[in-house]
Amino acid sequence: MNTRKLPTTIPEYLEHLRRSLAGADPALVQDALYDAEEYLRSELAEQPDKTEAEVIAAVASSYGAPDEVADIYRDTEVKVQTALRPPPPRPRSSALGRFFGVFADPRAYASLFYMVLSLATGIFYFTWAVTGLSVSLGLSITIIGIPLLILFFGSVRVLSLVEGRIVEVMLGERMPRRPLYTVRGRSLLQRIGDMFTDVRTWSTILYMMLLMPLGIVYFTLVVTLLGTALSSIAAPVLVWLGIAEAGTSIGGWGILNYDGEVLSTSMPAIGLPLLLLFGIVLLFATMHIARGIGRVHGLFAKHLLVKTAQHD
Amino acid sequence: MDESEDQAGAQLRKFQKELSTGTVALALLAVLAAAGEPMYGYQIAKTLERVGQGALAGKQSALYPVLRNLQAAGLLDSFVEPSDAGPPRRYYRITDAGHGALRNWAAAWRATRDSVDAVLEGIRQ
Repeated sequence: MNTRKLPTTIPEYLEHLRRSLAGADPALVQDALYDAEEYLRSELAEQPDKTEAEVIAAVASSYGAPDEVADIYRDTEVKVQTALRPPPPRPRSSALGRFFGVFADPRAYASLFYMVLSLATGIFYFTWAVTGLSVSLGLSITIIGIPLLILFFGSVRVLSLVEGRIVEVMLGERMPRRPLYTVRGRSLLQRIGDMFTDVRTWSTILYMMLLMPLGIVYFTLVVTLLGTALSSIAAPVLVWLGIAEAGTSIGGWGILNYDGEVLSTSMPAIGLPLLLLFGIVLLFATMHIARGIGRVHGLFAKHLLVKTAQHD
Repeated sequence: MDESEDQAGAQLRKFQKELSTGTVALALLAVLAAAGEPMYGYQIAKTLERVGQGALAGKQSALYPVLRNLQAAGLLDSFVEPSDAGPPRRYYRITDAGHGALRNWAAAWRATRDSVDAVLEGIRQ
């Protein structure tokens, strides 16, 4: 079984815990390591007359040995996930039911909203990353650039956590709720150095820059698809209500035109039921696309914002 | 027999775990309400350790995820403060909603305890 000797230092304990949690959700690992470090550091500070090894030996019975802690977190996570999440919609048996069932899935609406929002956040992140990086790197030839660069890297970490929260709430991908602990017992200069060599800092900056083009694509997709679908549904209804005219063409073919006086559609009256059907199918297809993109984007965000191997 | 003792021990542990699932959240709310000031994870764990018997005597690492859930449910709020002893600490404080939940839960707990005691009364000979 487990023949490894008990850890004698805090980094060893955390390393052991990380190994015990291997394969678990990286976000869970980050939270578990944060909690454990807080407890161990506090215990050590409470008992200054004891050595680190003695404190850790005592902690194994109160806080738990790394393996036990790993089990507890795995266990609780499952319970919490089922308790806090909205119940997943009942899987529909028929293909038709599955296709239209997306209408009742809150995840699809949230993804749709995230795609619209990502244009704004994407522009902000991009501006922040490019400005921060270029201003502080540019000024680094004078002394003032160095503190700016350090501040910028700090802000990147905070934004990474913020984006993680947005992604978890809207896309349902489990993200960290606590920041990463920096390695202790290192001088200020070493810790600043760590920021530069930490893969996560750079992958977060990459994510911030990539979110702008992605956000533009997402936003365009949502607006185009929803616009086409909704006007395809609206045009036949408006014609049947007598509000719009069918079969007129104003400056090219249009699903729904408004020239300041009359509402009209280029579709001849006979094709209107077909247009309505097309609109409805496209609306549901859009929600499927949104849900799919949301899922993929969640994984993408997790990959760049959460480092799998911590303290390595 | 060694084996049946093992089995009885495992059953007891399972029972205690099931008991603690429901009661730990109540105990955490009570500790924070009684303290009247924000406390951080380690302090809360130590306070509970002093009085913790039976189902509450489990590993303290189990408390942190529960604290996080209570915060997510709006019953606690939290803030981070730097400390000179180590990493910055996350302090938890009970909210108004938390006080309300504590009152309801405590009533539910007392009712449960009384009825369990009443049932157990029957076997005490």
